[in-house]
Amino acid sequence: MSNIYDIVIIGGGPAGLSAGIYGGRAKLKTAILEKGTVGGMAATTREMVNYPGFKTSTGPELTKAMADHAREFGTEINKDEVKDIDLNGEIKVIKTKKGKEYQTRAIIIAVGSQPRLLNIPGEKEFRGDGVSYCATCDAECYEGLHVVVVGNGDAAIEEAMFITKYASKVTIIVIHDEGTLDCNKLSAEKAFKNDKIEFIWKSVVTEIKGENAVTGVTIKNLKTGIIQELQTDGVFIYVGMVPETGFLKGKVEMDERGYLSCNGLMETSVSGVYAAGDVRTKYLRQVSTAVGDGATAAVAAERYIAEQESFRNYVLNSDKPILMAFWDPVVQESLDLLSVLEKTVADHGDAVNLIKIDMSRTKMIAQKYNVSKVPTVLYLQGKDEFTVFDDENCIAKLDAFLKRNI
Amino acid sequence: MKLKSLNAITFEEEIYDNGQPCLVVFSRKNCHVCAEVVPMLEEAAENYIDSFGFFYVDVEDESDLFKRFSLRGVPQILFFNNGEYQGKLGGLLEEERVVEKIEEVRMG
Ligand SMILES: Cc1cc2nc3c(=O)[nH]c(=O)nc-3n(C[C@H](O)[C@H](O)[C@H](O)COP(=O)(O)OP(=O)(O)OC[C@H]3O[C@@H](n4cnc5c(N)ncnc54)[C@H](O)[C@@H]3O)c2cc1C
Repeated sequence: MSNIYDIVIIGGGPAGLSAGIYGGRAKLKTAILEKGTVGGMAATTREMVNYPGFKTSTGPELTKAMADHAREFGTEINKDEVKDIDLNGEIKVIKTKKGKEYQTRAIIIAVGSQPRLLNIPGEKEFRGDGVSYCATCDAECYEGLHVVVVGNGDAAIEEAMFITKYASKVTIIVIHDEGTLDCNKLSAEKAFKNDKIEFIWKSVVTEIKGENAVTGVTIKNLKTGIIQELQTDGVFIYVGMVPETGFLKGKVEMDERGYLSCNGLMETSVSGVYAAGDVRTKYLRQVSTAVGDGATAAVAAERYIAEQESFRNYVLNSDKPILMAFWDPVVQESLDLLSVLEKTVADHGDAVNLIKIDMSRTKMIAQKYNVSKVPTVLYLQGKDEFTVFDDENCIAKLDAFLKRNI
Repeated sequence: MKLKSLNAITFEEEIYDNGQPCLVVFSRKNCHVCAEVVPMLEEAAENYIDSFGFFYVDVEDESDLFKRFSLRGVPQILFFNNGEYQGKLGGLLEEERVVEKIEEVRMG
């Protein structure tokens, strides 16, 4: 069996696992590469109350079921971290930390995102010694202690509430005016009612202090400019997420924050490369939307692979020269051209094969030959040698050309 | 190489009685960063068979051990030599940092 994969999926969170299920089910040679926990961010979520059909599932349960499902359909799940990718050829190459190379026809990027750092003094230094980004992992260590939570979105407020199970007091530092939280209303109401929770409004943390472990934070009020010190044993930081797309810089188009922009087919700027889940520019980052993206990306990749395959069979292995006509159902001019072309080919005794390419459905072949305009006609002499006819007199020119060459 | 799991009793034996230079990683199952750090240690362990001990403590199963060191989170890697505490590394780590520390502890 060939060592070339059909689809390699980078990241084994909900988006990657869902893509793996669809890829495996379509009998494509599919691998998922995951550097950490299979199940991704969702595997560290204690309660999952909004995934349709599973009212009370936990993140680990749900994602384990997804992983088993993908494996049952024949998808490999390998522990490894992708360090670099080469997207230049039709066969793309993925290089991993363990020194492996994967060759693949299509790639689905499902690397999700990571907690954003505050980048303030003390944050790096005390990571693991009082600075944390994961309440599930670390809240227990703060039994009876005072904890500061930075942030006010869903994650910040929900995690703050979880920490109150252990800590004696939780102080939430909020950048907005008094009473304003970015989280959902229900969580906000619960937090306001929780008597272990206190808020410091209109403020930011500017420094984390300590010796061997965190002992306090410096807080600045943005309105008054007043700076105060607050004693605390731990700081949990929930100030949003950043996509893990550093290794894709300059290779795949991304927005200024590093999220990958793609269309409804989950296609990125590179043909054969798809993105799914939290890593792409989108409105809602949840498990339910991640699995939808994964399904779409895998099916789009499957189509792309099939297109490539049939292109290779019909075009590259043809015994006659090939005439490729790029058309689009909404461009009347291109429809007219098709019927003229058919006649031209017949006039030349069917010595060439006419292939019609619907640009509204297939982009890969057009990209391969740098065709952006409809109609365009290509005469293919050899594998990489071709002549372009795309101006107003193209039929007359083509006719003359065929007379000379056939 | 899978790391040897310790409980309160085997912890005493390995760390204090045997006293070989070693590290102990405190970890838990559903922690994302742990899931990156532990495989890295498993790999590094291959290079130190017989010369440096690599151990694992599940903090959910062994919460007393965890509390004893007043740790503030997982993953935490604690280093020992001759039963004496030699320092720790916490959070997300590159392999190089760990190897550096291992060498430091081995040199004494
Ligand atoms: C505290 C919290 C609570 C949440 N609660 C809910 C909830 O109740 N309901 C809900 O629907 N959603 C919830 N979410 C959101 C949900 O977790 C995400 O939307 C979902 O996990 C996104 O899935 P994903 O597959 O896109 O990315 P992720 O789950 O982030 O998975 C990406 C995976 O890719 C891996 N990876 C990254 N880079 C590489 C690389 N270079 N090589 C190999 N692997 C790599 C990572 O290790 C990770 O496992 C919550 C999120 C947080 C932070």
